[in-house]
Amino acid sequence: MYTKRLGRVGVVLVVFLISALLLTFWSSSTSTSKTGAYTAQPTDYTIHTTEDWPTYIDPAVGNDFSDSIALLNLYDSLVFPTVQGTVKPSLAVKWGLSKNGLVYTFTLRHGVKFHNGDELTGEDVAFSMERLLTIKQGFAYLFSPYVKNAKATGKYTVVITLKKSFGPFISALPRLYILNKRTVMAHIVKPGTYGAFGDYATKWLLTHDAGSGPYTVQKYNVISDLLAAKFAKYWGGWSPNAPNFFEESASSQPASEYAAFATRDLDITDELLPLETYQSMAKLTGATVVTFLNGHNLNIMLHTKKPPTDDVHFRKALAYVFDYNAVISSIYPGSVQSKGPVPATLLGFDPNLFHYHTNLQKAKAELAQSKYANKLDQYPVTLSWCAEAPAEEKVALLFQANAAEIGIKVQITKKPFGSMEADATNIKTTPNASIVFVAPDYPEAGAMLSVRYSSASAGSWEQCEWLQNSAIDKMINDALATADQAARLKKYYAIQAKIVDLCPTIWVMDQAEKRAYQSAYVDWPVGDAIKAGKTAVGSSVMGYNLYAHDMKVYPQKRAELLSGS
Amino acid sequence: MEIFLDSIKNSIYKFSRNKVSIIGFFMVAMVIIVAIFAPLLAPYPKAAGAFIDFSNASKPPSRAHFFGTDVVGRDILSRVMFAFRGALIMGLGVIAAIVPFGVLVGLFAGYYYGTWIDTVVMRITDIFVTLPALLLALAVASFGRPSLFNSMMAVAFAWWPFYARLTYSMASSVRNETFVKAAQTIGAHKAHIIFKEILPNCLAPIFTKMALEIGWVILVGATLSFVGLGEQPPTAALGTMVSDGAQYLPAQWWISLFPALAICFMILAFNLLGDGVKSMLSTEVL
Repeated sequence: MYTKRLGRVGVVLVVFLISALLLTFWSSSTSTSKTGAYTAQPTDYTIHTTEDWPTYIDPAVGNDFSDSIALLNLYDSLVFPTVQGTVKPSLAVKWGLSKNGLVYTFTLRHGVKFHNGDELTGEDVAFSMERLLTIKQGFAYLFSPYVKNAKATGKYTVVITLKKSFGPFISALPRLYILNKRTVMAHIVKPGTYGAFGDYATKWLLTHDAGSGPYTVQKYNVISDLLAAKFAKYWGGWSPNAPNFFEESASSQPASEYAAFATRDLDITDELLPLETYQSMAKLTGATVVTFLNGHNLNIMLHTKKPPTDDVHFRKALAYVFDYNAVISSIYPGSVQSKGPVPATLLGFDPNLFHYHTNLQKAKAELAQSKYANKLDQYPVTLSWCAEAPAEEKVALLFQANAAEIGIKVQITKKPFGSMEADATNIKTTPNASIVFVAPDYPEAGAMLSVRYSSASAGSWEQCEWLQNSAIDKMINDALATADQAARLKKYYAIQAKIVDLCPTIWVMDQAEKRAYQSAYVDWPVGDAIKAGKTAVGSSVMGYNLYAHDMKVYPQKRAELLSGS
Repeated sequence: MEIFLDSIKNSIYKFSRNKVSIIGFFMVAMVIIVAIFAPLLAPYPKAAGAFIDFSNASKPPSRAHFFGTDVVGRDILSRVMFAFRGALIMGLGVIAAIVPFGVLVGLFAGYYYGTWIDTVVMRITDIFVTLPALLLALAVASFGRPSLFNSMMAVAFAWWPFYARLTYSMASSVRNETFVKAAQTIGAHKAHIIFKEILPNCLAPIFTKMALEIGWVILVGATLSFVGLGEQPPTAALGTMVSDGAQYLPAQWWISLFPALAICFMILAFNLLGDGVKSMLSTEVL
């Protein structure tokens, strides 16, 4: 009796094991064959980077540094920015513009596959533009004022019609990330904010992707990290040593990042660490710290609608008392003092623009003209700096010490970037001064001028000044609508002069971005070029220096480094 | 009078018998003296204010800077000396604010033991006691703009129930003693019974608890500073200094280490002193 029962249990166990094995085999084989998503191998390597958090991977929502890095690796766009500040064909192999400067016709690359295996067509491009314009978040502000509609006129042709001329339209197109219409429509939840489109799949796209980029979301933890796997059928092809996985995680304390870097768990650091941490990392075997001008600038944004920074003389006093040299020599070595709102590496920067420099006498003279000159005790300046960028604390303390020289009190608050973003959305909660790095969304002065100073961007982390100046708005719109490049650049110059005169910002420096990377076993085009002394400039477009597709990794060299051989 | 003097002599004798308490006493005295005279004693008093000196940034301990300098060139020893002020204000101020309130609540609830007053007051107190004090303080402190005063208010808000509970347990027991009954029998006023008969018999454990808890209050205050809810820059605060320095570990270890040791020193000092107060107020027969 007992033997019989044991026999039955054995049969059940064998059947169960065989079924489990079959299921495992079936699931792994189908996931590879159907979608082209890469299947993990024991020799795989994940290239790991860090950046500020949170990261929004929906192309119609994300628009900051970490979002940009994720989006560029998960999605494709019609054109791709180059280090030289131009763009090169990507999904679009060619394009043309109508005589009136309003109709762009794009011819798409054939055979591009989305991560689920669908072919990318003009319909998807038109859908992606319409979705971005409807949701009105992320990089929508680049296109909303100009784009009338986007229509597929053939399987591989799409026409984008503008409401009015937009000179840098092609330069802005890297920010239009193309989604798979079928995938998005399949994940729409109704009812939602967008009528017939329900929630436009915004909930699903918070943690998944519908792109055709070199990597596809493998695992996404909203709180801390994104793991993306190589898309084997990527149209751009793969080099043999390209990373099989790409991981972007939240920046942590410098000491933690140092520990992760020292144990080779982190391959490329963020650019937010204090100088001392980079110096420590540079001493590690096989590690290199690179510095390159990246087209980003550091701003102390002054709230122009809140006392006492609503007074232009008060703002100018702060601009004159600030010690710019201390920043570029002791906090961010290699950087250069900014000359106005446009980084010097961008097309349209005016090299002859007046800029503020440290001058205590002028600071005192400006303060004397301020309506707050005799009431400084009643009007302390509130200042926030970003907790994820520890070196900013030094800038904050320097600003506080400098301001104290002319009797201005500064109240410093350390805030997570998310809190700073939230504060910036309300004119009342935005502090008098906010220390913020800003990068252009496309490589031209218009990108910085519109996102930083047009009224449309007031209330975002990129404009804590609340400038809301109709004359500036008019000038920016006019410049952006100018198709002739030479004429457009002249107009950019005039805008810069006008903004500098209003002094809504202390333009601290054009950033020399620092990142440490494991040069012993990672080939990173930007880092390797700088290491070889070829160029000192990375991509001016936010996030585009971290394109994992072009990197190479050598796990064996890493193992040797760890074993000390 | 003679009995009172004898009692004091007896207490001092008990305190002096405990050698570590004497050490604690001198440690506390040292902290207080350094805090009061920080502008005179600190080698670089400017370092406590809005001051930057990048040419001296991140210097390790040396003769010029015994505790080294921080990442903006401020002398850490000077900042620690000034930071003792905030820590002492936190420890002594919070205890001074919460003890009278907590004791009053406990006295009344204890006197009215078994009545609705007891039930209502002590259940409210129990709700506070069930919440971890640090978490409650963090939650309260995060509502206002970070400052020493707000962090003191937050700690006080979280700490008073412990004194109410202690006093309540003492008062509800003492109220049944013969001398209290006697006072009631002769028609003494309730205030007289509560403050003259019950309160004096509850004081010994309250004083002991106070002496032992100053250090803990300082630690909670430092924790609030550590997470950015205490004193704000440029004012020196021990918790903030530890937090700021933690970013530069392990290379610039001194930036965090010395403020952390200063916190340990203060807590140890008050705990040793508290032990002495405890033995001084004990009913041990000598």
